[in-house]
Amino acid sequence: MDFVTNCAADVADQFWAQTRNGLTLGSIYAMIALGYTMVYGVLQLINFAHSEVFMVSTVAALYAIPFFGVTEGDPATGLSAVLIFIAVLVCCMLASGLVALLLERLAYRPLRKRGAPRLSFLISAIGASLFIQYLFVLMDGEHYLFPIRGIADPLGMPLMIIGLALAVVAGGLLLAGVRRGEAGWVDAGTLTGFGGLAALIAGLVFVVKLPDILGPTPQSVPELFATSTVFTLLGTPISNKRLLVVVVTVIMLVILDNFVRKTRMGRGIRAVAQDPQAASLMGVNINRVIVVTFLVGGLMAGAAGLLYQTVLSAPAFWFIGFRPGIKAFVAAVLGGIGNIRGAILGGLLLGLVEAYAVPCIGTQWIDVTAFVVLVIVLLFRPTGILGEQAGG
Amino acid sequence: MSERAPTGTHSSEASFTERRRSWQRAYRAQLQRTRMKRAAGSRALRQRIAQEAAPVTTAWANGRAWVNDHSKLTYPVIGVVVIAIAALLPLLGDFVDLPTELEQATSGSVLARVMLFALFALGLNVVVGFAGLLDLGYVAFWLMGSYTAAILTGAQSYSRQIQGGASFGDVQEPEFQMWMWLILFIALGVAVLTGIALGSPTLRLRGDYLAIVTLGFGEILRITANNLTGVTGGPRGVTSIPHPAIQVGDVEIIWGTLLDTKYYWLLLGLVVLWIIAIRMLDQSRIGRAWVAIREDEVAAASMGVPVVRMKLAAFAIGACTAGVGGVIYAEQVNFINPPTFSLIQSILILAMVVLGGMGSITGSIVGAAALVIIPDALLRGQDEYRFFLFGLVLVVVMIFRPQGLVPSKRRKAELVGGEGDSPLAEA
Repeated sequence: MDFVTNCAADVADQFWAQTRNGLTLGSIYAMIALGYTMVYGVLQLINFAHSEVFMVSTVAALYAIPFFGVTEGDPATGLSAVLIFIAVLVCCMLASGLVALLLERLAYRPLRKRGAPRLSFLISAIGASLFIQYLFVLMDGEHYLFPIRGIADPLGMPLMIIGLALAVVAGGLLLAGVRRGEAGWVDAGTLTGFGGLAALIAGLVFVVKLPDILGPTPQSVPELFATSTVFTLLGTPISNKRLLVVVVTVIMLVILDNFVRKTRMGRGIRAVAQDPQAASLMGVNINRVIVVTFLVGGLMAGAAGLLYQTVLSAPAFWFIGFRPGIKAFVAAVLGGIGNIRGAILGGLLLGLVEAYAVPCIGTQWIDVTAFVVLVIVLLFRPTGILGEQAGG
Repeated sequence: MSERAPTGTHSSEASFTERRRSWQRAYRAQLQRTRMKRAAGSRALRQRIAQEAAPVTTAWANGRAWVNDHSKLTYPVIGVVVIAIAALLPLLGDFVDLPTELEQATSGSVLARVMLFALFALGLNVVVGFAGLLDLGYVAFWLMGSYTAAILTGAQSYSRQIQGGASFGDVQEPEFQMWMWLILFIALGVAVLTGIALGSPTLRLRGDYLAIVTLGFGEILRITANNLTGVTGGPRGVTSIPHPAIQVGDVEIIWGTLLDTKYYWLLLGLVVLWIIAIRMLDQSRIGRAWVAIREDEVAAASMGVPVVRMKLAAFAIGACTAGVGGVIYAEQVNFINPPTFSLIQSILILAMVVLGGMGSITGSIVGAAALVIIPDALLRGQDEYRFFLFGLVLVVVMIFRPQGLVPSKRRKAELVGGEGDSPLAEA
């Protein structure tokens, strides 16, 4: 009993501070959980690689923040801080969105076309997750994927030019092929197009020296703006960063809710989540819906990645996605997977539970909480708090 | 070419959309024709090859039929020959001059790793391949086995005293060599109990949820091993786990060091034992129950298969395999710490099972051999490359050869013939 009373006293002591921490962390979990829950709603698939989509966002921040002129120890202030934050946010969201799209295209769609069993999707997702993580480890510019930097660097510009030329040729071939109705020309055009794209990306990689993108050690990201206390609520100081997290989350969630409930595409997403075959008979383009779902999930994870990085001053690190990712999944299950509002509720709840657990069991045990919560929820209410609900 | 798209000749008043539609129609028709032509061509080529190779294939088929017809005689003989070749493999380098890579690949230590992971893959194969339960926390049972050995031999208290500043002369280094065999059985029991403890509340869950819960369980055990310093030695790990030995009268066999080839033979023996046991299980009532559960749980339950009990059995068998492997691992390496048992190891073993072919015993061994030897011997053990390749292998295998390198006959039939249970198969 001693433990319980001590614990209660500790929690009561730090109640508001922990509530604040829990809500900020919970908002981030909620944003990542949306990606899991939407993809699950549409595809009945746990997108195991979603944590890597999140991780890519921190890497994008590592590159975008210095690009906009903010360096270590020289944070931006005033209006410029706001503008730079928005610009970096857009970059991070785009990077994550792109990775989510690539995942869908390369790891899931081929399986979908072949009608693979569900286990295959999960295994493919694990593989993609591993692949992305270690791709960043290997791209450290000195030892691994690009051991010949001295040779690789001058190749950048020529490669980009070749890539552009190939892209032009591909465009011509495609156009001519479509006009003449010649499949062979279109195939050649597509092939050339992919070659051009590959050359362009490779050239870009060499020119911007992306080879030293991450490597096996965590890279500290420059602080975007300095931490300051905005106001004090119930004796708890609220910093500008924590406020930012909540504000951005609320804005994003409102936009998402409107998107899913009011637009045509949102209706398509809900329709596919309810019954893919009926939806496709009603003229919903399922492939497009799936792509958009992945994209939206990726954009959310991108925003979450930057916010996570900003609030916790987390480094960019190839393994950083694992914990937030798994906890966001727990949050999605907690609220009822496939259910968008459930994901938000679950995220906030999990954040709060973790925050209140900190004074009792200490930070080294904190990761256990999420899993214990998961097991308990699955045992007593496998469909989550709000229940599995298609799309809505 | 009758459907050739009307292009310039098309009347200019037709809207752009209509023209685009007609292009698209023509393009699809053309695409269809090209594809059919290609398919016909490749079919002809395949027939031609089949014709040319007919004598060889018939001879092979006849041979196989003979071997199958006399299976009482031939199977044991083949088994003994294969085991003998496998056992003599590490000695190959002593007699023949091999290229460096091959010599590396057939060295006792690499082969012992192959066998260790083959054991793990066999165990996980029972869970994933036979019963169709995706277990992402398999490393938890390995951890239980290794820590059981570490604690029961006294290595844990010894290394804690040494780390606490005791001089080497003051504390007795653990010498439990003969007891190691008993510990093997104790660890087996502990792992089975862990498997049942994890399984009984969670096995009612659907596939995806089970995967995540088992993953969580593996992480919980690792974090616990890291934090419960008093019991497990915490993040500094346990050192000086004794090697096993056999001393009966004049006979004395001592497993010496990490590189000792005797470990390979020990593990080979275990793997052979396990293969026989698992084959028997697979062909028994239990094996058929697993297949039924994997194919359709509801149908299996309604036909009277005790679903939960059978799933628990699969879990327990997988767990005890990992427990035994864990003891041997701890003895061989002498040192364990929590990061040894991270999630990546579970995924690695899963990759072996998937690559080899889920549900296939030969496949598990081939998968383990491929994923240990290739990185160890050819990439000189750079873990980053290894995991990078695993990721790639998992995705590519799932796309192009979901049944694995050496597919099991049952599963192959199911994967080729079935429609798949994805509702979006045709989307």
